[in-house]
Amino acid sequence: MKRLTVVCTILAFGLGCALSPAYAKSLREDLAGQSTIEQVLKRGVLRVGMSTFVPWAMNDKKGNLIGFEIDVAKRLAADMGVKVEFVPTKWSGIIPALLTGKFDIIIGGMGITPERNLKVNFSRPYDYTGMSIVANKKLAKGFSRLEDFDKPSVAIAARTGTTAAAAVKKYLPKASLRLFDDESQAVQELLNGRVHALVASAPLPAFKALEYPDRLFMPVKGDFTREPIGFAVVKGDVDTLNFLDNWITVVEAEGWFKERKHYWFETKDWKGLVE
Amino acid sequence: MSRRPVGWIDVVVGAACAALVLWLGYLMGSRVRYNWNWSVIPQFFFYYDEAGSRWVPNLIVKGFLMTIKLSVWATLLATPLGVLTALLRIGRNLVGRLLGRTYVELVRNMPPLVLVYIVYYFVSDQLVRALGVETLLLSLGPGMQGFLEGCCAPVTKMPVFASAVFMLAIYEGAYIAEIVRAGVQSIDRGQWEASSALGFTRLQQLRHVIFPQALARTLPPYAGQVISTIKDSAIVSVISIPELTFQGLEIMASTYRTFEIWITITALYFVLTFTCSLGVQRLEAALGARRGY
Repeated sequence: MKRLTVVCTILAFGLGCALSPAYAKSLREDLAGQSTIEQVLKRGVLRVGMSTFVPWAMNDKKGNLIGFEIDVAKRLAADMGVKVEFVPTKWSGIIPALLTGKFDIIIGGMGITPERNLKVNFSRPYDYTGMSIVANKKLAKGFSRLEDFDKPSVAIAARTGTTAAAAVKKYLPKASLRLFDDESQAVQELLNGRVHALVASAPLPAFKALEYPDRLFMPVKGDFTREPIGFAVVKGDVDTLNFLDNWITVVEAEGWFKERKHYWFETKDWKGLVE
Repeated sequence: MSRRPVGWIDVVVGAACAALVLWLGYLMGSRVRYNWNWSVIPQFFFYYDEAGSRWVPNLIVKGFLMTIKLSVWATLLATPLGVLTALLRIGRNLVGRLLGRTYVELVRNMPPLVLVYIVYYFVSDQLVRALGVETLLLSLGPGMQGFLEGCCAPVTKMPVFASAVFMLAIYEGAYIAEIVRAGVQSIDRGQWEASSALGFTRLQQLRHVIFPQALARTLPPYAGQVISTIKDSAIVSVISIPELTFQGLEIMASTYRTFEIWITITALYFVLTFTCSLGVQRLEAALGARRGY
């Protein structure tokens, strides 16, 4: 009985030794084959999750999507040699949608935060953005510093699930935060004078202040936060992350991001496409 | 029904209603600071494509068509589901009755928004993956793909479209089941007994005696439920189905023309549902005339 056990153990050990390299190899192949990048190439379509966010992504007059992030996604797909398909998704539900496989990647100006990073993997940043604040001239009369807004009597609007909402909680903890699903509703609320100010990613607040100079103003010039922006993909997929990081390095070296960013954020040449 | 001539009380009530509407309109115009600009709206219906020199439907028209497609498919699926559930509920089989009751009560006591998310995130995803629908769809020929795009959605969007249709069908099915059940149970017991005495089997009783009578009573509320489906379809905008409400929200996010777009969208829903209402009215009149009441 004892001898049998010993023999069995040795046999099992030997079998394990013989099989494990083969097993590891097939496991590696499996992983590589199942990576998002491989799936995209096989399908020939890169499905991109995004949300409308002027000027990152928006509809033009012909109903086509345009914007900074749209350019980035199109370039990424073109460099991979696949077609691109956009999946417009509510910002508040965009991470669950990525996790359940509704699309392959989020390219939507998503700020890299530790909370989000616990759920998804981020590429290295390809862009930086900051929060700025635009206020109602009547309600926020005389407010000139960020601290002026940090009072219980002040209402601030922001978009649900954005880093803008997080920034309000962090920098204006005493103000009451009102959340909206879309930027347009938040802007309307500000114009109607039901909130004192709107916090959003630059350059939207500045654009709105220019558009309605009789009602809105910028109490604080410039941005009060600086946030890195990256692509988000599902966890446990090294191949995709490696590809994205290196793609960013290559495209960055060309100066392409800068040129696109200038076009969408510092010029208004595209305004004619939308209205 | 005799018609009373217009009295002074009708005039007063009518005038009060008109005054209220005008007052609200005045409030809207004076209190809400808004720069109206209707000029951006028409291009979202159709725009002129210079390159192809033709008119091309834009987001709103596409959304309108998607709403119609969703409603039609959901109704087509919900009707058999509802009738089947009603049959189970009035049947003699205990398991069937329990199943029917569970389904109806579950759906009717759940907010439709929750149902949308459950179907979208959990049910459809696992089903689609398990059945390998995606690869099957992508392997179809271009003709078949074009056909699917015409009557449902582009192939790549089919899984999401299907989950939206299923969700709507499940939701409306429960209500249709109750409508059908009420219709069947409203038929006098005597009809069952008489047909039983004539030696009809249960199936024959239903088919030849009960259903024809129940149909006339069921049709009006059923038609109302179909109209409801059109309105309820707006809820799937949360899972990015490009239907009317979703397209409206998208255009709003791009152009910030909140009021103009909401008013346009409202008008379009009204056109759809009111057309159906008129149809139902005629149907009811026709049925009423045939039965003599």
